[in-house]
Amino acid sequence: MASERVELLQGTLDLIVLRALSTMGPQHAYGLAARLEQVADHPFALNQGTLYAALTRLEQKGWIKGTWQRTESNREAKYYALTKGGGRALGEQVERWRRLSGLVDKLILGPSS
Amino acid sequence: MSEPRRAWRRFLAFLWPGRAERELAREIDAHLAQLQETFERRGLSPADAHLAARRAFGGVEQAKEAQRDARSYRPLDELRQNVTYAARTLSRTPGVTLAAVLTLALGIGATSAIFSVIYGVVLDPYPYAAADRIWAVRVATVDRQDGHIYSPVELPALRQSPAFASLMATTIDSVLMTGEFSPETVTGVLLTPNAFDFLGVPPLLGRTIRPADVRADGDVEPVVVISHRLWLRLFEGSPSAIGRTLRLNGRTYTIVGVMPPRFGWYTSDGVWLPLAPNRTDVQWVLPIVRLAPGVSPDAATAQLTAINRRLAEERPEIWPKQGFTTTLSNYLDVTVASGEMRNSLRLLLGAVGFLLLIACANVANLQLARGVTRGREIAVRLSVGADRGRVLRQLLTESVLLSLVGGALGVLLAFGAIEVIVALMPENYVPNESRVTINVPVLAFSLGVSVITGIIAGLVPAWQASRADTSQVLTASRSTGAGKHGARTRSVLVMVEVALAVVLLVSASLTVRAFMALQQIDPGVQADRVLLMNLPIAPERYKTREQRAAFAQEVQRRLSRLAGVESVSFGFPGTGRQTPFTIAGQNRDDSRRVGVAIAAAEHLRTYGIPLRRGRMFDSAEVARADRVAVVNETAAALWPAGQDPIGTRVRLELLANPPAGMLIDASRGGDVTIVGVVADTRNNGLREAPSPTVMLPYSILGQSSMTLAVRAASGEPSRLLNPVRAEMRAIDAEQPLGRAITLADIFDDDVVQPRFTMAMFSTFAGLGLVLAAIGIYSVLSFHVSRHTHELGLRMALGAPRRRVLRLMLGMGARLVLIGLVVGLVASVGATRLLQNQVYGVRAADPIAYVAVIAALGAIACLACYVPARRAAGVDPMVALRQD
Repeated sequence: MASERVELLQGTLDLIVLRALSTMGPQHAYGLAARLEQVADHPFALNQGTLYAALTRLEQKGWIKGTWQRTESNREAKYYALTKGGGRALGEQVERWRRLSGLVDKLILGPSS
Repeated sequence: MSEPRRAWRRFLAFLWPGRAERELAREIDAHLAQLQETFERRGLSPADAHLAARRAFGGVEQAKEAQRDARSYRPLDELRQNVTYAARTLSRTPGVTLAAVLTLALGIGATSAIFSVIYGVVLDPYPYAAADRIWAVRVATVDRQDGHIYSPVELPALRQSPAFASLMATTIDSVLMTGEFSPETVTGVLLTPNAFDFLGVPPLLGRTIRPADVRADGDVEPVVVISHRLWLRLFEGSPSAIGRTLRLNGRTYTIVGVMPPRFGWYTSDGVWLPLAPNRTDVQWVLPIVRLAPGVSPDAATAQLTAINRRLAEERPEIWPKQGFTTTLSNYLDVTVASGEMRNSLRLLLGAVGFLLLIACANVANLQLARGVTRGREIAVRLSVGADRGRVLRQLLTESVLLSLVGGALGVLLAFGAIEVIVALMPENYVPNESRVTINVPVLAFSLGVSVITGIIAGLVPAWQASRADTSQVLTASRSTGAGKHGARTRSVLVMVEVALAVVLLVSASLTVRAFMALQQIDPGVQADRVLLMNLPIAPERYKTREQRAAFAQEVQRRLSRLAGVESVSFGFPGTGRQTPFTIAGQNRDDSRRVGVAIAAAEHLRTYGIPLRRGRMFDSAEVARADRVAVVNETAAALWPAGQDPIGTRVRLELLANPPAGMLIDASRGGDVTIVGVVADTRNNGLREAPSPTVMLPYSILGQSSMTLAVRAASGEPSRLLNPVRAEMRAIDAEQPLGRAITLADIFDDDVVQPRFTMAMFSTFAGLGLVLAAIGIYSVLSFHVSRHTHELGLRMALGAPRRRVLRLMLGMGARLVLIGLVVGLVASVGATRLLQNQVYGVRAADPIAYVAVIAALGAIACLACYVPARRAAGVDPMVALRQD
C-alpha cells in the first residue's frame, strides 16, 4: 500500500496549493486537503497536517493571505486567498515547472526523434 | 522580494512565537472539527469520527513541528527552549547551582584577571599608533660586550635609508628645574620634533612639539610638553598650565601641551623637550624607526648595516674597533616586561589554567551527580523518542549557561582582583604606558573562556546521561540506578582535581621557598637608615674638577653636622662604570673589565660595609684626589693567587683614556694604588653574584652628578629629608636635589618580582586546594546519600560504626592518594618550567614537597571526615525504611 503512494517532490506542494487557491478561490486547510485527495489518482503520501508548513511558507513570502471566516456550517476556519504577488509567483512557478518537467521527460524517455 | 520578506517574518516569529502558536492550535482544532464532522456525516459515531479525523490528519505534534520549522528558525528556537529549560532545571536545585556558579566564577575570574594583566603589560602595552611597526635600532659589538651609540650628527645618514618610512630619535637628560617651583631635577626627554607625529598620541591639553618648532638657524623654540603627573603635581591639573613657563637648565620654556596619563615615552613624570638639530653637546641618541610599507625587517637591517659601515669608516674613533652587528628590535619586544615579568605572567596563565580545569572538573562532578538523579527523566525522554543529540545539546546548554553566569560573576571578581594584582606588580618590570583594565578584548576573552569551560565541564556528564541504557535506568530501583559508571567517572574527576591542585601547590610552595631564601640573603650593606638622593652639580656653575670636589666637600661637611645624621657619603655601592684594567706586573687584556665606583672617606660607615684588610682612603686623600682605591673581595680575587692586592697598583682605562665630557686628569696616568679590601656587597642585585668593583675617591672623577647617601643616627631615614633639603637651600638656594629613596627600598625592588610570583601562585594554589576539597567532599557526600540503604543494612547486621567510618575514610583516602601520586609525578615536570623563577631553590626541593603533602593531607582529611561521620551516624532503621 505505502509503496504505491506518490512521494511529493520537494517544493511541489507549494505549487499545488497556489494552483488550487487560484482555481477554487479562498480555501481553508481542510478544504485544500479534501481537494488534493479528490484530484489525485493515487493516494498522496500526505497527512493533512503536512499542509500547514506549506501554508506558513507561502504566507510568509506574501503569496497568500489567511483570514478567519465562518464556513457554511457556521464553523470558524482560516481561509487562505491568493494575493497579487501570489498570482504572479504562480505564473513563474508554473513556467519553471513546465521547463523542468519537459527536461526530465526528455531525459527519461530518451530522444523522441 | 519574497525571500528576504520571509526571512524577516521568520525572525519575527522566532522573537514572538506566542501568537503564531495560538493561531496554529486554533487552526488545527478547526481543521479536526471539520474532519470529524465529515466523518459523522458519513455515519460514524462521534467517538469513531473523532479517531478517524485524527488518523486522516496525521500526527498533530509532527504537523506543528513541521509548521514551526517553516515558520521560525529551528536551531534558534531549540536554543531558546534549551535555555529556558536549563534555567528552570538549574533553579530547581539552587544549592548545587550556586556551588557550580561560584566555582566557575573563581576559575574564570582568576583567568580573566591574569589575562587582563598580560594584555595590558605584554600584548598591548603602548598607546602609540601601530606600536607593532615601531623598531629600535641597536648596534652591538661582536663580543656583545659593548655597542655603538649614535650621535645626533649621524641621524641624517640614517634618514637617507629608503627602508624607513620615518625616523625619530630620543635621548634622556636630567634637567634642573628652578624658578617659580622649589628646585628639583626632573627627567627631560629630548625628542626630534617629528617624534609626536611619529608616536601618534594626541595631547590631553594644548599641542605637542612639532617640526615647526625648529627655527631656520637650527635652534628650537623654547617649548616644553609636560607629563600628566608633573601637571597634577605642579599645576594641580589646571588647564591654565598651558602658556605658563618652566625654568629648565637655566632657560625659560613655555608649556605648550600636557600629555594624557598613558603617554610615558621614557618618563611618566618628567618633561619632553625638542632636540635641536644643531646641538653638539648631546652625547647620544636612540634612533627609532617605522619601516616603509612592504619593507621586511631583514631588508631594513641589511640597508642599515651598509649605512653603519659607511659611518664607521668616516669616524672610526667612535665606532667599535672589533667589529659590530646591527639589529632592529620590534618595540613590542623591547618592553621592560620582556624578561622576568613576561615569563612570570606566562607561568601564571598556566597556573590559572590549572585552576580553571579544577573548577571544570568540580562542575562536571556536580552535573554528574545531578545527572544521576535526573537519569530517569532523561531515560523517559529518550524512550518516548527524543533525539539523543537533542538531549546532549540540552545538557550542554545547561552547563554553558552555568558557566556564562559564572563568567559574568567572574568578571566582577576580576575587577577586584586586578586592583590587588596591580598593587603587587613590580613597577620596574611594567612599562610606564601600560594600563591593566577590563576592556573589550579582555571581555571577549572571558566570554570565550566561559563558553569553552561550559562545554568542557558539560561534555562528560552530558555524554554519560545521553548514552544511558534507558531500559536499565527505568527498571532499576532508585537507590541503585545509573550507579556504577557515573561513580567511577566522578572518582576519576576528583583524582584529576587533586592531581592538578598538587601541581599548583608544589609550584606555589617552591615560590614561597624561593622568596624566603631571598629574604635571607645578606646584601652586604646595612640597608636600614640610609637615605639616598641624586645631587646634581651644575656644570656651568662648577666648571672644574676642583670646584666640584670643593662643593661636594662643603655639602658633606654641612650635612654631617645636622642633628640625627650619622654620616654622609657620595656614590652608590653598585657595579660601577665598567672599564678594562691591568694589574701591575701583568699583561694587558682588554676583554676583562672591572667596575669603577666613587666613594667618600665615610663610605663604609655610611653604608655599613665591613673593611676586610688594609684601610679605607681618608678625607685628606679625597681632598687631594690622590690616586688611591679600595677593592671589594671579588675584585681582590682578580689578583694572582697568593698576592695581596694591598700596596699594588692597577691601571684603569677609564683614568688613562677618559671619555669626552669627563673631567678626569689624564695627565696623572691610569694607575691607582690599592689601600684596602672591603667586603662584597650584592652590587649586582640580590639574586646575582657580586661583581668586581674598584672604589675611588669621588674627587678623581669630578662627576656632574653624584648619589648623596645620608645615614641616620636612628630611626626612619626619610625623616631627615626635610632637614637635608633645608640645609641644601642654606648652602645654595639654587641647588636642586633629586627625589629621595631609601636604601631599603632599592633592595626591596629586588624582592618585588619574587613576591609577586609567590603571592599569585599561593593564591591560585590555595583556591585550587579549596576547590579540590569541595570535589572530594561532594563525591563522598553523594556516595553516602546514595548508599544510605546499604550502610544501614551493614549496621543492622552488626557492623560497628567505626567500621563504616573507616570504610568511608578509606574511600576518600584512595582518591586523594592516587591524585597525590599523579600530581607529584606531574609536578616534577611542571616545576622545571619554574626553575628560573625560583632563585636559590632547586625545583626538587624536598621541603616544598613535604609541605604540599602535609597541606593536602590535612584538607583532604577534613573533606572526607565530614561525610564519613554522617555515614557512621546513619540510623539503620531509618536507612532501611528508605525505598
